[in-house]
Amino acid sequence: MSEKERLTRRDFMSIAMWAIGGVIGAAFGIPAVAYIIGPAARKQEDQGWIRLGAASKVELGSPTLFKSKIEKQTGWITNEEELSVYVLTENGRNFTAMSNICTHLGCRVRWIADQEQFFCPCHNAAFAKNGDVVSGPPPRPLDQYQVKEEDGQLFVLGG
Amino acid sequence: MITKIANWFDERVGWKAVWETIFLRKIPKVNWLYTLGSATLFTAVNQAVTGILLTIYYVPTPDHAYDSVQYITTQIPMGWLIRGLHHWGASAMVILTVLHMLRVILLGAYKYPREVTWFTGVFLLLVVVGFGFTGYLLPWDQKAYWGSSVGTRIAGSTPVVGDWILRVMRGGPDLSAITLVRFFGVHVWVLPASLILLLGIHMYLVIKIGISAVPKREEE
Ligand code: HEM
Ligand code: FES
Repeated sequence: MSEKERLTRRDFMSIAMWAIGGVIGAAFGIPAVAYIIGPAARKQEDQGWIRLGAASKVELGSPTLFKSKIEKQTGWITNEEELSVYVLTENGRNFTAMSNICTHLGCRVRWIADQEQFFCPCHNAAFAKNGDVVSGPPPRPLDQYQVKEEDGQLFVLGG
Repeated sequence: MITKIANWFDERVGWKAVWETIFLRKIPKVNWLYTLGSATLFTAVNQAVTGILLTIYYVPTPDHAYDSVQYITTQIPMGWLIRGLHHWGASAMVILTVLHMLRVILLGAYKYPREVTWFTGVFLLLVVVGFGFTGYLLPWDQKAYWGSSVGTRIAGSTPVVGDWILRVMRGGPDLSAITLVRFFGVHVWVLPASLILLLGIHMYLVIKIGISAVPKREEE
């Protein structure tokens, strides 16, 4: 080894110090990242089938609003939240269940019966009876839930 | 490339001179006892990092404190580690601070011209103990509640002004929500600010005066 390339004691200590510092930094940094993003990386818990109410309440050909309470766990707090679902049926046998959350930026839409449209007050969006966008900024039709009817009761699959 | 950027900054900021005075300063030939101050400093950084992380979930109110702490340790990834580091680091910091002070006493390092370094050290010790005392209540479990209940009552046993001290510490006659929030405020704002200020002076003096050498016999 030439004189120039020799690792001096000083250089060795300096490298060792940076290396140890790097290890300590990683030992704090990596757990810290996991700790911070933890709740965001968590999968949303399944709500299962949520009971809406009697299927007979749905008016033929007109979206009917159902509200039901669901329990949501956020952090260490369990909250009661209201789930609002519009149910539509044309024949009393096949049901469509639509979320009342606007697909634009999440305001709540409302069925205006005499205009036969859902209306979102936030940025003047209008959706057709089946949830398709009629006008305004929303990028896609209203979201739909999976529905089932059992013993005259309607259920949607929450998730 | 890196040297180029480093030089670019050095020309404008002059960081190399700062780096040299802090890390490349000359020190006398000393022994491992002289690392106790740095070890204490390391635990201080540990407490700051893990403490900041704890505040992103911890809630200092009687109805959430306990649950949020349980949530950190059982639900958040690495939460047990972060809380554990803060919990055990607290004890380590008190022990190391005292050992560092003993080294300063036993090797006579508090003497001229280092009296002011010593004075700031005395207040640093109080700050460290204050951290321990206020932090103890925050988990709001039985141990925390009764520990702080007793602790504030001890302060309350001071002659004449005792009752008044107890009321100020608790924010009223009883240990309550008010006590919890004020302990929290002191723990995360008042004490850290004092620590930074005092440590700044302490370290400035250590560097400016230079550390003392190991005492020697006259003849040597
Ligand atoms: C938060 C707690 C403290 C920290 C982080 C801290 C840090 C330091 C550091 C890094 C040094 C350099 C020399 C060495 O490591 O021994 C030092 C020196 C010194 N410390 Fe502290 N210290 C603390 C508390 C105290 C206390 C409680 C006292 C005494 C009451 C004290 C008195 C001194 C004195 C007199 C020196 C100069 C020693 C010399 O020049 O040889 N410090 N401190
Ligand atoms: S949120 Fe509904 S239109 Fe913007």
